[in-house]
Amino acid sequence: MGEEEREIKTDGFEPKIIGFTCNWCTYAAADLAGTSRMKYPANIRLIRLMCSSRVDPLFVLKTLLRGADGVFIGGCHPGECHYITGNLYARRRYSMTKKLLETAGIDPRRVRMEWISAAEGLKFAATMKGFIEEIKELGPGPFNPAGTKKEVKE
Amino acid sequence: MKGDMYFASASDEEILKRGEYGGAVTALLKFALESKVVDAVLGVRKRSGNNRYDGVLDLITDPEEVKECAGSLHCAPVNIARNIKEYLDGAKQMKIAVPCKPCDARAIVEIAKRKQIDRDNVLLVGLNCTGTLSPVSAKEMLISEYEVEPGDVVMEDIDEVDGTWKLTVTLSDGTKKEKDLEELEQKGYGRRENCRRCDVNIPRMADIACGKWGVKEGEKQSFIEVCSDTGTEFMDKAVESDAIKVEKPGGDTIAERKKKDEDAIELANKCKEEYLKELREMSLEDRLAYWMRYFDRCIKCFGCRDACPICYCKKCYLEPDRGYVPGGEVPPDRLFPFTRLAHVADSCVNCGQCQDACPAEIPLTRLYTMLNDELSPMFEYVPGMDVEAVPPLIAAKEEEETLIDDINLFLAKGGEGE
Ligand SMILES: Cc1cc2nc3c(=O)[nH]c(=O)nc-3n(C[C@H](O)[C@H](O)[C@H](O)COP(=O)(O)OP(=O)(O)OC[C@H]3O[C@@H](n4cnc5c(N)ncnc54)[C@H](O)[C@@H]3O)c2cc1C
Ligand code: FES
Repeated sequence: MGEEEREIKTDGFEPKIIGFTCNWCTYAAADLAGTSRMKYPANIRLIRLMCSSRVDPLFVLKTLLRGADGVFIGGCHPGECHYITGNLYARRRYSMTKKLLETAGIDPRRVRMEWISAAEGLKFAATMKGFIEEIKELGPGPFNPAGTKKEVKE
Repeated sequence: MKGDMYFASASDEEILKRGEYGGAVTALLKFALESKVVDAVLGVRKRSGNNRYDGVLDLITDPEEVKECAGSLHCAPVNIARNIKEYLDGAKQMKIAVPCKPCDARAIVEIAKRKQIDRDNVLLVGLNCTGTLSPVSAKEMLISEYEVEPGDVVMEDIDEVDGTWKLTVTLSDGTKKEKDLEELEQKGYGRRENCRRCDVNIPRMADIACGKWGVKEGEKQSFIEVCSDTGTEFMDKAVESDAIKVEKPGGDTIAERKKKDEDAIELANKCKEEYLKELREMSLEDRLAYWMRYFDRCIKCFGCRDACPICYCKKCYLEPDRGYVPGGEVPPDRLFPFTRLAHVADSCVNCGQCQDACPAEIPLTRLYTMLNDELSPMFEYVPGMDVEAVPPLIAAKEEEETLIDDINLFLAKGGEGE
């Protein structure tokens, strides 16, 4: 599909990002960022899970296919997962998912994973800022109805 | 011993005659039944008469019947692994000897890791393979390109002759007709698409690997490489009981076999390069549009899922009650093809069964192999090669925990990507 068929609205585009965050670390970090009144854009909606390993690649795919512009996954640093190795599996699945997206033609930069411990409120805010910036640059996700003049299927 | 090599042929005169290359495989399968090494043989045979385009699986318990399977059917890509899993309870109740091509053996290994086939209960008699043909297009090709009556063909053969790959058919009166394989494939005939890309020609993940490579032209023999301890024990017994006659192959024949294998791998790489180039070079947008166009052809018949030999969920994610793919929609929600892709990402063995089954002709195996090719170097894992190798998505290693904080640990090892 050529450039002309797909108009990307970038000005005023406020991306919708879904974050899957681990209860023990990244979710707490988001809390900390909030209570410490650190600023980060409000484009992200968090879904709290008990461990980053709960993130089935299908969650990521479903989120993107239902129109989200980006997906964030937050887990405990290696060695700090409450369930010992959950985050290591999560990293492997995340790596697979990125390649899967790329193979099918979806920009893998729309999915990002980061280790953010409960104490890293600052890192959480900075990561969100950076990720949202990147998604703004990428424009609306391929399945975000707002981003397409024409349906992708032609 | 693992790695031992033999020239082998059937001791039985009738089997020697009926076998494709000396009948060692038939003799071994018959011996496995007679000696009670296995309870049954799962052979591939013509359903009836000389119809080489309708190969079926046959579960055999009478040793005499094994002879009916003699011969190599190149136009019968039967789904061996899925059938063992689905209809023979994963060989959990009985021991089965199975002649199998590399993709069949790899699928068996991969599903055995997921505990749905008992690898200890299947004796894998591997057959070298450089590809199979889809029966319908093969018949068309025989009529239009070879100008022969498909029913008159008694043998097919793919081999390299003086540096070019030929597909040769032998007719009932003994005449042979050969054509350039790559030229046929340019026209859309020849081997199945997945076979063209396949670079596993010798099934060393089986218990023994049998083929004609290395055997002198015209000799009624097969070259056998022993690939496991089970294979060693079985071969020793078979030789001792005089089911097969064996000779030691000379260094030159071993080298010749190796050379054939290398050349076949080179051809596979070349095909892969050619066929996937366009997709690899596409922009992401074009690539997505390419796949969406195909996905929109889907009529949700579930054929790909039902044919996939390594599809492993007990309760399928594609069913509406799982909350991903809503029921009653055609084409289905895109999560349907994406879920399939995610579920075979690390385990697809490129057997092509999904694509064969697809009535909408979606090139599914192409998509799966492309992803698998990206993941293999990342996780240092090739599906179906070693039953002990743990699938990469459930195989976190200790050092990943203690030493490595890098979130891009694996991605950094992948291909160049975008
Ligand atoms: C599709 C195919 C391609 C092959 N390509 C090569 C090659 O490129 N190089 C090489 O060295 N050898 C190849 N072989 C192996 C070779 O043709 C002989 O099968 C092998 O040398 C054993 O000979 P035999 O006389 O002992 O076998 P036989 O005694 O004739 O027994 C053959 C056995 O193969 C089984 N069989 C037949 N068709 C199929 C099928 N489609 N799928 C699974 N099992 C089947 C039968 O059930 C039978 O048990 C191929 C075999 C097949 C089936
Ligand atoms: S508990 Fe936080 S990633 Fe597992």
